Amino acid sequence: MIRFFEKEPYSPIEYTYEVQSVLYKGKSQYQEILVVENPYFGKILILDGIVQLTERDEFFYHEMLTHIVMQAHPNPKRIVVIGGGDGGVVREVLKHKTVEKIYFVEIDEEVIQISKRFFPTLSSSIDDPKVEIKIMDGADFIKKSSTSIDAIIVDSTDIIGFARSLFTEDFFSSAIKALNQDGMFVTHSESLHFHLDIVIEVQKILKKAFPLVDLYTAPIATYPGNWWVFSIGSKKLNPRDIRRPFEIKTRYYDDEIHKHAFLPHKLYRKLMDKKLIW
Amino acid sequence: MIRSFKVEKFHAKIISKSTLFKVLSYLDKQKITTPFLLIDTEKIKENIYIIGKNIRNSKVFYALKANPDVAIADLVNQQDIGFEIASEGELKVLSSLDIKPAKIISSNPVKSIQFLEMAANYGVNYLSYDSIDEVDKIAKHAPRSNVYIRLSVPNEGSDWPLSKKFGVELDDAVRLLSYAKHKGLNPVGVTFHVGSQCTNLYSWNIAIDKAKILWDMSESKGIKLSLLNIGGGYPINYTKSAINIDIIEKNINKLISEKFPEDIEIHIEPGRSIVGDAGILVSTVIGKAKRYDEDWLYMDVGVFNGLMESLGGIRYSYIVENYKSKSKRWTIAGPSCDSFDVIDQNITLPEPDIGYLILILSSGAYTISYASEFNGFLIPKNILI
Repeated sequence: MIRFFEKEPYSPIEYTYEVQSVLYKGKSQYQEILVVENPYFGKILILDGIVQLTERDEFFYHEMLTHIVMQAHPNPKRIVVIGGGDGGVVREVLKHKTVEKIYFVEIDEEVIQISKRFFPTLSSSIDDPKVEIKIMDGADFIKKSSTSIDAIIVDSTDIIGFARSLFTEDFFSSAIKALNQDGMFVTHSESLHFHLDIVIEVQKILKKAFPLVDLYTAPIATYPGNWWVFSIGSKKLNPRDIRRPFEIKTRYYDDEIHKHAFLPHKLYRKLMDKKLIW
Repeated sequence: MIRSFKVEKFHAKIISKSTLFKVLSYLDKQKITTPFLLIDTEKIKENIYIIGKNIRNSKVFYALKANPDVAIADLVNQQDIGFEIASEGELKVLSSLDIKPAKIISSNPVKSIQFLEMAANYGVNYLSYDSIDEVDKIAKHAPRSNVYIRLSVPNEGSDWPLSKKFGVELDDAVRLLSYAKHKGLNPVGVTFHVGSQCTNLYSWNIAIDKAKILWDMSESKGIKLSLLNIGGGYPINYTKSAINIDIIEKNINKLISEKFPEDIEIHIEPGRSIVGDAGILVSTVIGKAKRYDEDWLYMDVGVFNGLMESLGGIRYSYIVENYKSKSKRWTIAGPSCDSFDVIDQNITLPEPDIGYLILILSSGAYTISYASEFNGFLIPKNILI
C-alpha cells in the first residue's frame, strides 16, 4: 500500500493517507496537483502537498464556508467566489434562489480542469449560466471590481503559500469597497488548535478594514488541527443572525448549526487577548 | 509580486506561522533593498508575556544590548517590564523614552565613571559589581546605591559563555559584600549568569545552590540579602527546539522556593529570549562559487554586519526564495573581503539564483547591536512589523 504524507510544516501531527491509486499527478504554473483514491475518503484533491478536499467529507467545509454569510445576508444576489477551483463553493452558492450572478475567480485554470475530470459532483456547478469564470488573481479582481457585491467568499490554499495576497490589509480594504451596504466577506483561516496565531492575526487584519469582524468554526477531519476557522468581515450586519428562512438542501449546515458555529463571546475574547494559549 | 520560498518542517520549530506570514507579506509588497531586520512586534509581546510568569516575586528587565532599537525599547516599555543596561549610550536610549529610573538596573560588573555618574543622576539605583575597585567607584560616583555581587558559576551548558570575564568565588563575594556596606553602599543581593543561550537546565541548579551558600554566609556576617538576580540565558530556537522557558522557570522557581526565604525578590534579565525569535534578517544572495568540492553561497549579511555570533558557534536556520531547484550543501559566507567572514558550513538549501532573498531566522538578538560597517557593507536596520 502506498501512503501519502501531508506536507503542512505547521502541523505538529503528520497526517498520512492510504493511497489505493494515484489518479493524477501534475504541476501547474502555480502548484503541484495530485488526485489520489483512498479507501475511506474516496478521491482526494491535494495541492502543494496539502489536502484540499475529499469526496467523503467535503460538504462540511463547503457548506460551512458558504451558507453562514449567505443566510446572514438579507438578499444575496451578486457573489464573488475566490479560489475553490473545485467548484464546491459555487455549488453551494447556487442553492440560494436569490443569487443572480457569481463571479468565480480562480488563478489556476488547471485546478478547474482537473476537478471537472475527477470531481464532477462539485465542478458541474461551474457550467451554470449564472457563473462567470475569471482566470486571474482574486486580489486583482477585487481591486478592479467596481460592481456592487453582496458576498465575497474566499476558498484559498495555505496562507503562507502564494495565496497570502488574499489575507492582507490591502485585499480586505478593496473587498469592503467592492461590497454593498449589507455586504459580507468570509475566508477560511486555518485551525484553532494548530494555527491560533494565524487565526488571531487574520482577525486583527480584518478589523483594520471591516467594522464588524467575527469567526466561526467547523470540525473538518481532513484539515490539520481539525477545528477549522472561518473569518468574517461585515459592513454592518451581525453575521450571527439569520435574515432569511432556511430553505436550502444541505447535509450539515442548518439554521441551528448557524447559531452554534460561532464561538461564545467570552471564549472569543479569551482567545483574541491571548489569555488561552496552549 | 508574490515570491516563492521553500518552507520546511523544521522551520516550523524556529518561526511561528504568523511571524512567517507577516514577513512574507511584507516582502511581497515592498521594493526591497537588503539587508534589513524585520521584527515581529506581536512575537516580542508574546515572549514578554511568558517570561517571569512561572517565577514568584519576579521582575523582568530587558537586556537592552540584545537589540537597543528605540522603537523596540518603546514596545518593551509598554509591556510594563524594566531594562538592564551597561552604558551611557543605552541609558540615552531609555531617557529619550522617559523611562522611569525605578525600571532600570545595571548588571555590568565593571562600569565607566561617566556611566555611573549619569546613572546616579538619572536615579538608577541597582548596580552589580565584583571587585574592590568597583565598590570604590560606585561609592564615590553613585553613593548609597543598592548593589549586588556577581558570583562566578559554570557556563558549560551555554552556547555563549560569559563567566570567565566576570564573577567571584564565595569567599571573595562575602568580603566584597562587607566592603560595600563599609563604604556606605547597600548590599542587597547576589547575581550570576549561566551564559547566554543556555540549553542545560542544571546550570541553574548549580548557580542557585551556590547563591544559596553565599546567602547564608553573608547572613552569618550580619548582611541580610533580599535580592536574587538570576541574569539571563534563556535559550531560543535556532536550528532545533531548545528547552521551553516555562520548564526552565518552573525548575528555577522550585529551587528558589525550597532554598530561599518567601519574601525574596527575583530579577530576570532576558535579552535573546525577548527579541531573538521575533527577528528575521532579510538578505540577498550576491554570489555563488564552487571551490574544490565546496559550494559557496555569498550573502549581503555576514559576520561583520550582523552575524557575529556565528563565530562563537551560533548556527542559524535559513529560508531561501525559490523552492524549485534541488538542494545542495552550502558554505555560507558574508560579503566582505575578510576570510573570517564565513557564517556556516554544510547547510542544505535549494539553490537560489543571484538576487534571490535569503531569510535568516531567529536573528533579532545580538546581530545589529554587534554589527559594524567594515568594508563598507551597511548595517541592517530594524523594521517593526
